[in-house]
Amino acid sequence: AGVLAAHKITASSPDTDLPTVSGLRKMGVNFTVSNKDTVKSSDVLFLAVKPPIIPFILEEVGPDIEPRHIVVSCAAGVTISSIEKKLSTFCPTPKVIRCMTNTPVIVREGATVYATGTHADVEDGKLLEQLMASVGFCTEVEEDLIDAVTGLSGSGPAYAFTALDALADGGVKMGLPRRLAVRLGAQALLGAAKMLLESEQHPGQLKDNVCSPGGATIHALHFLESGGFRSLLINAVEASCIRTRELQHVADQEKISPAAIKKTLLDKVKLESPSLSVASANKVSLFSNKS
Amino acid sequence: LIPQGKVPASCILASAPSEKNLDTWRESGCRTTHCNLEVLQESTLVFLATKPHVLPGVLQEIRPAVGPHHIVVSLAAGVSLQTLQRLLPAGTKVLRLMPNLPCVVQAGAMVFARGSGAGDSEAALLKHLLSSCGLCEEVPESYINIHTGLSGSGVAYVYLFAEALAEGAVKMGMPGGLASRIAAQTLLGAAKMMLETGEHPAKLRGDVCTPGGTTIHALHQLEKGALRATVMNAVEAATNRACDVAKD
Repeated sequence: AGVLAAHKITASSPDTDLPTVSGLRKMGVNFTVSNKDTVKSSDVLFLAVKPPIIPFILEEVGPDIEPRHIVVSCAAGVTISSIEKKLSTFCPTPKVIRCMTNTPVIVREGATVYATGTHADVEDGKLLEQLMASVGFCTEVEEDLIDAVTGLSGSGPAYAFTALDALADGGVKMGLPRRLAVRLGAQALLGAAKMLLESEQHPGQLKDNVCSPGGATIHALHFLESGGFRSLLINAVEASCIRTRELQHVADQEKISPAAIKKTLLDKVKLESPSLSVASANKVSLFSNKS
Repeated sequence: LIPQGKVPASCILASAPSEKNLDTWRESGCRTTHCNLEVLQESTLVFLATKPHVLPGVLQEIRPAVGPHHIVVSLAAGVSLQTLQRLLPAGTKVLRLMPNLPCVVQAGAMVFARGSGAGDSEAALLKHLLSSCGLCEEVPESYINIHTGLSGSGVAYVYLFAEALAEGAVKMGMPGGLASRIAAQTLLGAAKMMLETGEHPAKLRGDVCTPGGTTIHALHQLEKGALRATVMNAVEAATNRACDVAKD
């Protein structure tokens, strides 16, 4: 998105065979297999690893964390206080920011929220906001809302993909070729979303604007209402949010010995693709981990 | 009309076959008679408020006395302008009116449609007079059955909803009488806000919903019960029934 020069970014991953790695290299990003090196040469650290690995990474880079570092965690369910607690053994006032984004950052239409930790300044938050705003919408929230955000915009793209698949089926049923049906469905949702974002009007009003009396659209909407369309969506957001909280709770509860985690996870890390990137320098975010 | 002062009671003549319906009129100070023809002779603006099956007979009866100066307004459900015009002299100014029950408390919703003989001044007169009873709008005749489904019958939907609201409160421990009054006032207040602010009901609804609060929890229950679709079904059923009845 042109916010930061690639050479100012350093990415780190233990496994160099990953497609993400070659992708990053192509962009001109500096690459290393050493998390420690990354920390030394950077100011902003994005921890884009799976939640169970966070404690590890923190143990590993903790000693090298200095007051200037801003640690940004995108790990689902990992609280600011847990990160601050871990880092405080190394650094008295660690700057921590927690963020939650979503997959459409890939096409620069992401939805990102962040919550600032105890020692992060306003400018630190603003810096992150500036970075993430380059790949979509970004705003600050209170940490306790992040689960709700996960339910809505974190999982949201999946709801949309499901809807689009079904809309396309509807089109195909009524005679459209599949490719065209998918294209038109996606464009319809894109256009509607854009209209809403650019309008002062309530979505209910925008809906009314499309429904001519006795026309096609109102007939269709009646079907949606009969199927409890709205409540299904409310249920979905609620379920995702609750599940996020459950997982966090489970993670908090678990008392597994660090040594045991270390062995199993490190093995896993080597086998799976973690899209590990501890990026840095003055800016840039690379790929977040799927949560 | 009378309480609002639009028309002095002495200018109103009501006709009915038996005494029992005329008492109320007399109490308001109106003159009464048993002779329909007398009404045509004494009045310019004539409201036909009989049951639909009785109407054709009444029209036959008054037809000789109907002149070009008369304005005939029919309230008979399901009797079309075409039928009314066929049974009256050609060119008669005929309009068709569909009120609803709360007209009796001056909070009615009325629509009317004009026949081919009725012009702008007749429409304006009717609208002006009836606005004292509530909302009064001119519409194409095809909307009249929809109005029945929406507002004529709609009043009953509201009573049902009010009853259910109160029952919910009773379940939670409130006495029934109080719950009922509060339910009614809630509906009244919400409706008043809609009418006075002109805002979209979806926006007004959103304004009441604090994040994670009581209202959004309750609304979720309503959505789970597909309340919206059910209400749409009700309006549709009543409208269709009105159309069917009209055909008979």
